Amino acid sequence: MVNRTPVIAVIGAGIAGLEAARQLAALGYEPVLIEKAPVAGGHVAEWNRLFPDMTPASEVIRPLLEQTSGIRTCLDTEIASINRLKDGFNLVLSDGSSLICQAVLFATGFHLFDASKKEEYGYGIYDRVITNRDLEQWFNTRHDPRVDHPKAVGFVHCVGSRDIKAGNAQCSKVCCITAIKQAIEIKEEFPDAEVYCFYMDLRLFGKKYEDFYIKAQRDYGIHFIRGRVSEVGEAIDGRVVVKAEDTLSGKPVRVTLDLLVLMAGIVCNPDAQHYAREIGATVDEDGFLKSRNNLAAITESSRPGVFFAGACTGAKTVPETLAEARSAALAIHQYLSKRG
Amino acid sequence: MRERFITHFDPFVIPFLVGMAFVLGYCLVAMVRVIAELPKADRKRFLGSLFTPKYIWMNVRDIFLNCLIHVKLWKRNKVLGFMHSSIAFGWFMIIVLGHLEVMLFVPERIRLFYYPIFFNYFVAETEQTIQGSLLMFLMDFFLLLILSGIAIAIIKRFASRIVGMRRTTRLSLLDRVGLYSLWAIFPLRLLAESFTAHISGGSFLTIPTNWVFRQFLGNDLYALPTWWAYSVALCVFMCVLPFTRYMHIPAEMLLIPMRNAGIRIRHPRKGFATLEVYSCPGCGVCIDACPMTVRKANCKDCTVYLNRQLRRGNERRIEEIADKCLLCGKCTAVCQVGAQGPELRVAQRERRKYALSPSYAGINVRPMARAVAAGAGGESGGVLYFAGCMTHLTPSIRRATASLLDKAGVRWQMMDPDGGLCCGRPLMMAGRTEQARELIAKNLEIIRASGCDTLLLSCPICYRIFKEEYPLDGIRVVHHSVFFQELIAAGQLSIQRDGEAKFVWHDPCELGRGCGIYEQPRQALAAAGELVEAGRHHAESICCGGSLGSLTLSFDQRRPMVRNALDNLTVADPSEIVTGCPLCLSTFVRDADRPVRDIAEVLDSRC
Repeated sequence: MVNRTPVIAVIGAGIAGLEAARQLAALGYEPVLIEKAPVAGGHVAEWNRLFPDMTPASEVIRPLLEQTSGIRTCLDTEIASINRLKDGFNLVLSDGSSLICQAVLFATGFHLFDASKKEEYGYGIYDRVITNRDLEQWFNTRHDPRVDHPKAVGFVHCVGSRDIKAGNAQCSKVCCITAIKQAIEIKEEFPDAEVYCFYMDLRLFGKKYEDFYIKAQRDYGIHFIRGRVSEVGEAIDGRVVVKAEDTLSGKPVRVTLDLLVLMAGIVCNPDAQHYAREIGATVDEDGFLKSRNNLAAITESSRPGVFFAGACTGAKTVPETLAEARSAALAIHQYLSKRG
Repeated sequence: MRERFITHFDPFVIPFLVGMAFVLGYCLVAMVRVIAELPKADRKRFLGSLFTPKYIWMNVRDIFLNCLIHVKLWKRNKVLGFMHSSIAFGWFMIIVLGHLEVMLFVPERIRLFYYPIFFNYFVAETEQTIQGSLLMFLMDFFLLLILSGIAIAIIKRFASRIVGMRRTTRLSLLDRVGLYSLWAIFPLRLLAESFTAHISGGSFLTIPTNWVFRQFLGNDLYALPTWWAYSVALCVFMCVLPFTRYMHIPAEMLLIPMRNAGIRIRHPRKGFATLEVYSCPGCGVCIDACPMTVRKANCKDCTVYLNRQLRRGNERRIEEIADKCLLCGKCTAVCQVGAQGPELRVAQRERRKYALSPSYAGINVRPMARAVAAGAGGESGGVLYFAGCMTHLTPSIRRATASLLDKAGVRWQMMDPDGGLCCGRPLMMAGRTEQARELIAKNLEIIRASGCDTLLLSCPICYRIFKEEYPLDGIRVVHHSVFFQELIAAGQLSIQRDGEAKFVWHDPCELGRGCGIYEQPRQALAAAGELVEAGRHHAESICCGGSLGSLTLSFDQRRPMVRNALDNLTVADPSEIVTGCPLCLSTFVRDADRPVRDIAEVLDSRC
């Protein structure tokens, strides 16, 4: 017998994919989650706590996983090829099975910028240089020899974002506030440590973000230095020496630190580009997927039956991603009901 | 041979004489002006070289090989080489043989300027001699050679791909007039000589042609107008020559002796630079070679167009072209006359007036000098390693270099452990020579204080200026790739060969074309693994696109150049790209699909 319930392939089981699948299942469809990693949850699952309320990331992930437990989820699975059919798509998965679906939702998310590409910051070269992701992992596991009772910690904003040289001109949106969050957490962990943030602009647009920033300065005594880091060196004792310019005072700054955290930015996911080209959706100049309309139809591609949710179209915060996932589910519902 | 006309004259020679008088007069005035515009020391040096036997021999040899035989062009492209040398050498031989004929048969007419050119019109053959028919055979042979060259030239103009050029220059109106008159000269000469061949005699080319024409023309009425046309074509060519690209013919004959005498460009519009500009034949080889012209972008910013705009005095475009260039020097490497595009551009940049010119004379380097003197511990000799700004931005290179020096047991210290002064090369490239000189003086003070005997650089940009502009007598300036190669050869470093690794060496512009270092880094790499070559390499390697030379190219504009350079490097599918320049490295790392490392890192990992 022919299965009458429309099937929707959801590529990526991060928070966007999970939320959209949950909504689609509630609407009576049959979503199928395809995830290349061995576990669902995406980047958020790797994080410890989330701004601005210091909510544990698990509080976001756990309910999503519980509510999608009934949904067919293919973990450790990649897509070998995508073919367009007359009224749907045929996805051949890496386990050899094929999936016929009526709509495809890209919830492919982003990649974290590879900080070792900015060699001048010394990631992968110096022992005391880590990234924002490494620090979150330390918060989770408390195990990283690089984080060893630091007395002075620095955060470098915009590593691989707003950087034409690094091939990523756009703002990653969430790192300013993430840096402040992590700076506060470090200060809570090591109250004696001096914490410095090297920024070029602070873009604190969201609800409670500004309060968070003021709190960081007033209550935690975190130093904010406006100016890009020019280079990072290593002192004889293995500590890192950061050179920057304080553009507000117009003076060069030199600080010796025990730990330097690079705020690696959000860049496009090359797999998403590959799938999008195969399915006939457009990739934008910045490498992210291109919506049909950036104001009114952000979740729709220019190709019927292909939808987007979350950071595959650009950097997003958690609430934005969740809202977009719901919106995409509704857009798919409308698309399928219109077709009858 | 006897003369046909008692007057030894016909009015048709007048156009030729006019053209000849004009072009000779023009070139003479231009030559005097160029020599007069040279700075006094340069002028003395040049005029002196003209009377030195060594230089006289060099000049004659180079003019013969380059202007007539076009040896460089042969090496590059056989078809183009044949085309140019057939026309140049053939024409030269026709003029020489024409004079020989006159001297042999009517020696009293050698004083008449036009006689050797139009010899066949003025004489009738009375008897056949061996030397006569040999000369005529040679005349016909060289005419045929020229005609074959002209045929290739015509094909090239309409389908440049056939002769292996993807892009060629767009000609100006006068260039076209010159080109068409040049094309016309030799077919007209063939016709003219053929029409009179039954009177003056001829050889394998002119006699049969004469026979064919006589079959259907039946009279000699066409002869005189054809000689007129030949003379007029010569006149037109010579009259437009100073205003066309063909000015390179006389200009190069002065350029070669000046270059041999070691004259350099000192002003973008005066003296030697003028000569450089006029020596450009406008062939457009530099367009295909230029790394900026990827995807048909920036074609009008190549050296050939800089020369053209300098001749026209288009200031806006001159500034634009001068600032855009990456100064990689590839145009000079492929150019037949060795036109010094980068030097010309830097000279142009030097003319610019800046509102603000910061001075570096006030920098106090005494603490740094004291630090290196203390580091040397009173001992002289040893290696002083200057990392420079770019190596400080790529710390893995600095680390690998330091580690290799320690492993080899070299006595060394760093000149700039906490960052130092700029070497001055970026300022030099931007045309800010005076500021660069201030930095040179400062750095010299530190180097002298160290008492070292070797200055080691891991950045070719620094290496070039230390080598060219720093008066460091007694101190060896060496790039780390060369230094490590020598340490390997001397057995001080032992490298474990990696059977899996397949390296390709990227020749940085400043190291390869700039300083002529190609083989040592390859030898060092070959010790660490298999070495493959890029599509274009050595002197023709392609700039990474990150060069400091360009003042105006944006990152977006550079990106296709970077990709093109990477495509060129990966034709043999190496497992790793290796270079010796921190700037090339950081440019490539962003776009490469495989690991890119500095040679020091590769050697250090296998040591």
